[in-house]
Amino acid sequence: MKFLTKINHQYIWTLGILLIIVSVVGFFVLKNIILNEIKEDIFEKEYAIINEIRTQNNTPNIFPIIETKKISENEIEKKSYKNISLRDEAENEQEPYLEYTNTVKINNQYYLIKLRHSLLESNDLIMAISLPLLLLLVLSLSVLFFTTKRMNKTIWKDFEDNLKFIENFSFDNLDNIKLKQTDIEEFNRLNKTVSKLTEKLQNDYKLLKEFTENASHELQTPITIISLNLEEILQQDLAETVFKQIVSTQNAVKRLSNLNKNLLLLTKIKNRQYSTEKQIVVNKFVEEKIEEFQTLSKNKNINISLISESDFVLKMNTDLVEILLNNLISNSIKHNIENGEISINITENKLQICNTGKENSLTNNNIFNRFTKENSQSYGLGLSIVKQICDTHNLKIEYLKTREHCFIISDKK
Amino acid sequence: MKILVVEDEIELLTTVSNYLTKEKYICELAENFQKAKKKLSINEYDIILLDITLPDGDGIDLLQTIRKNNIRAGVIILSAKNSLDDKITGLDFGADDYMTKPFQLSELNSRIKAILRRHKFGGDSTLHFNEISITTDSKTVKINNKEIVLTKKEYDMLLYFIINKNRVLTKEAIAEHLWNDNIDLSDNFDFIYTHLNNIRRKIKSKGGNDYIKTIYGMGYKFTDQ
Repeated sequence: MKFLTKINHQYIWTLGILLIIVSVVGFFVLKNIILNEIKEDIFEKEYAIINEIRTQNNTPNIFPIIETKKISENEIEKKSYKNISLRDEAENEQEPYLEYTNTVKINNQYYLIKLRHSLLESNDLIMAISLPLLLLLVLSLSVLFFTTKRMNKTIWKDFEDNLKFIENFSFDNLDNIKLKQTDIEEFNRLNKTVSKLTEKLQNDYKLLKEFTENASHELQTPITIISLNLEEILQQDLAETVFKQIVSTQNAVKRLSNLNKNLLLLTKIKNRQYSTEKQIVVNKFVEEKIEEFQTLSKNKNINISLISESDFVLKMNTDLVEILLNNLISNSIKHNIENGEISINITENKLQICNTGKENSLTNNNIFNRFTKENSQSYGLGLSIVKQICDTHNLKIEYLKTREHCFIISDKK
Repeated sequence: MKILVVEDEIELLTTVSNYLTKEKYICELAENFQKAKKKLSINEYDIILLDITLPDGDGIDLLQTIRKNNIRAGVIILSAKNSLDDKITGLDFGADDYMTKPFQLSELNSRIKAILRRHKFGGDSTLHFNEISITTDSKTVKINNKEIVLTKKEYDMLLYFIINKNRVLTKEAIAEHLWNDNIDLSDNFDFIYTHLNNIRRKIKSKGGNDYIKTIYGMGYKFTDQ
């Protein structure tokens, strides 16, 4: 909900509740005042009637408002008010009246006096109160609506503009964020804080990036020394056990180095450091990769079939496409069985790689997590890298297990 | 053949130079930018091995000076960075090859030899090993002057063996040389064996000897000793 809409909602609620309370209270107060006026009027009339009886010995009767008659002692009624309704002949509808009944004793004779006064209909009263209030509500709301609309274009414009700047902020863009100055103190305070914060974030990010890269690169040098020395040791006359130990150490060092490279790669993809992107036809790359992996697939006697229904075009860094396909296709060979099958299907917005393989070697949930691996020989980073590449390029990757293991990459658009 | 190794890590420098000396190269060392620059102004080298991250300067600058002064040396960049961008920059500035750390000495040797062949030998780029001769221009292999036909991988493998003769080469090193990628091939070494057997068979068919020795089932050595 927009800030101004929120404020408007608050206004509407408060104003509405306030107006309801005012109208309810107003209704009762007004009703009371009117009733008191009527009662006063009735008392005056009663006084006049009693005078009339006492002096003229005359019982006046005017229907429906005045009714007097002589009564015997056992017909005495107590003083009371009653709400009644009478038929109004003129308007031909029921009208409310207040009926006042009293018995007075004048010259040892009892007189029953009934006085009626027409009451304002409740409906009329409610209308009289709520109509102006409703008008007030509509009027204030429309004023509110138009002022907010104008405020959106004036006061909030700079804020909106700045918000857009912040939204478009990227760590890779080394320019500092430049926010518009406004004449509103709060907004300027916010701008200052945001500028400071982004500057600090950018610095930290740069340092972290450099640190990760440097740490990773620095690791490669000692690894190289270890590996070169092991290679030289291998050249000597060695007993079989020693030879095997050294080869296995060398392989471990190689794994360490690859792990390091892959972690660096993962970080770099995540940080979107592969920024040079080109239009890429995936089909061509897949064909090249199949060619490249032929020795491997032939070795296991795996048949690779490629169906290109149409060109799958992506905007991507060529390095990353290579890595993506390398990982997926080498996986499909590595986790395949002897005399297996790999079927690759490419459509306009989808790449599907399916391979035969061992049952249940993968589960849906953690397959793309780091260090999830089938055997200790792999690093468990390959699919994680694939996922990261897809995530940063607005691509969706799915793993489906039917009779075969299928990886499907599709364009989210 | 004279080689200048520019590398700030002393241990790496010594290991590489020891190896290169053993391989009959004349080896000179520079552990920083200034030293390298000085040596380049005095001496001529056939090959320069260049680490691009030096403490007192950028290896790429050194590369630019080399190319500006028209020094006719082959340059191999040794870098800890494994990114295509760096590779392209390096090759754009006139490097002949680019190797990422960690590398293998046998691989280094084979790259050096490849550059030397391209730079110096010209038409006469033939390698000999007893009855085997390889002409790298036409990629032909002859045994006792009789040509044998090898596939591309078999040819690459034989060349790698002959360049690194008398050296123990592990299956991993051979696989990395042939496919020069990070593909995890550990459980797929059988194809190396297949290629090897093909080479042996083809050499034998023209009366050649089998020089490929298997070492404990984990490595190979091309030797006549």
